[in-house]
Amino acid sequence: MKPLTAIVTGASEGLGKSIALELASRQIDLVLVSLPSSGLPELADYIRKNLGVKVTIFEGDLTSAEICKGLFDMLKSDEININILINNAGLGNWAWFGDMNIGFYKKQIELNVIAPVLLTHLFLAQVDEERTAYLLNVGSLAGRFVVPKKQVYGATKSFIGYFTRCLQLEMDRSNVSISLLSPGGINTKPELLVMNHNLKGIAKATITEPDRVAYEAIHGMFLGKKEIIPGGVNKLMVVLNAILPGFIKDMIIKSKLRPVVKL
Amino acid sequence: MRVLVTGATGFIGRNLCLELAEQGYNVVALCRDVNHQYLISHKNITPVKGDILDRPSLMAAMKGCQQVYHTAALAKMWCRDKNDYYSINVTGTRNVLELAMDLYISKVVYTSTCGVWGPTIKHPMTENDPRIDGFAIDYERTKYLAEIEARVYANKGLNVVTVNPSRVYGEGPITDSNSVGKMISGYLKGKWRIIPGKGTQVSNYAYLGDVIKGHIAAMEQGVPGNRYILGGEDISFNTFFDTLQNISGKNHGMIKLPQRIIEAYSRFEQVKTNLTGLPPVFLPEFAARLRKDQKYSSQKAITQLNYRITPFAEGMAKTINHINSL
Repeated sequence: MKPLTAIVTGASEGLGKSIALELASRQIDLVLVSLPSSGLPELADYIRKNLGVKVTIFEGDLTSAEICKGLFDMLKSDEININILINNAGLGNWAWFGDMNIGFYKKQIELNVIAPVLLTHLFLAQVDEERTAYLLNVGSLAGRFVVPKKQVYGATKSFIGYFTRCLQLEMDRSNVSISLLSPGGINTKPELLVMNHNLKGIAKATITEPDRVAYEAIHGMFLGKKEIIPGGVNKLMVVLNAILPGFIKDMIIKSKLRPVVKL
Repeated sequence: MRVLVTGATGFIGRNLCLELAEQGYNVVALCRDVNHQYLISHKNITPVKGDILDRPSLMAAMKGCQQVYHTAALAKMWCRDKNDYYSINVTGTRNVLELAMDLYISKVVYTSTCGVWGPTIKHPMTENDPRIDGFAIDYERTKYLAEIEARVYANKGLNVVTVNPSRVYGEGPITDSNSVGKMISGYLKGKWRIIPGKGTQVSNYAYLGDVIKGHIAAMEQGVPGNRYILGGEDISFNTFFDTLQNISGKNHGMIKLPQRIIEAYSRFEQVKTNLTGLPPVFLPEFAARLRKDQKYSSQKAITQLNYRITPFAEGMAKTINHINSL
């Protein structure tokens, strides 16, 4: 049978790179998408050489609707049919709302919300209904919990959660398997994560390694899991979140914030 | 010519000082303790008390030098305060590069590590290959960040070349940073009897003498802003211990410890360290690494720097002789 082909957005670094390697190790051909000059050609060469799958690259900024469309136009003209879409590209932040400018938030919403919706639409329009197709949307535990300093990011991930759950219902009888990945913090690109080595206790225990998250994500996706929460501590947090009353959760979050609350 | 070497008491730094001094350079050896037991005394080596985290002392040492070798780093597997990795490896490197810029140093060689790539899948890593693993190991993460600093200063116009040694072994003191030396010395004393997993995991072992020559060649011929892997042969644990056994003539029954036991033990060690603050023997992030190979290609350095690799058996024989003489 023809090998499956997967699109991975945000593939040059972090979780996207680990997911690309995980898919390639399962002999799945890849279309890697990332910003120009983010090292995509080198990554593609490395994967071809070491894992022997076909790798196509597409360098572009997905905050533009034309670029999203351009990706699928290119694939159509190259006669590449996509069986798997991993909506991974995203922009995070850890800052008080007032500390980032409006341009940042606009870009964050365009990349985290608009791009996955458009790509999902374009992807579903071209799937081969004879074969099972897979959609994996990367959400976040921040989409389930209210996390201060992640106000817009968490809200975009809540959107992804809602969007994914709704599609799961709409497409229940189709040949498309839809999964939501809800990871906690991941130890990825170190220049973005100056915080992680300072974390302690529970906060530290929720940090997971990207290759582990990638394995659980792809494993869960092929099993048709509706939601994948990597890491034991993270699963426990979700259970606690469901059973604790709201005022206690608020107290915990506020007490954690006390040393850093802005006056 | 006057050259500064930071980390002059380190495994690479001290031998680099000696080689440069022998070649007639005037070596300023930066160290925190000028009476340190590993500092080499030589008529061309001037020990200067200083610290890469103390800018005035670093400035005083660097003034009047034309070249700088920055080998100082925190290379241990574990230290009590994890922030030390960031301050020594990243802030310290930034201090060296910034002062080198201010003082119009003509060229800097920065000693990084193959750990910035970490594990490999099939073929040996080259300078252009991406890192494929996360950054669970503090040393690797902070050395990666320090390379970014070197790139930033190269873009600002500083003439800086990065060298990436693999696992370095050779004639030098047995310390926590010299993990290969610890393994060889442990074997010779009959205390190291373990082969991890099936013994098939491959690592790259670079002979210290080659690495020192590679540093000097990088200073002479290295292209500004480039990096060069300074490695050796890719060797499995089985080959490593077979070679060690053949050359030393000491035949200890080795135990192949299954990977899962190593991982379970490393988790126990982590709990112990978290509760007691005692140094761990081994940590989970290192146990996980034993599942993967670490193969590196020195081809770029061989072509551009005329780098030479001493055959593993030859380097091992010299190392065993040295350790036996300690």
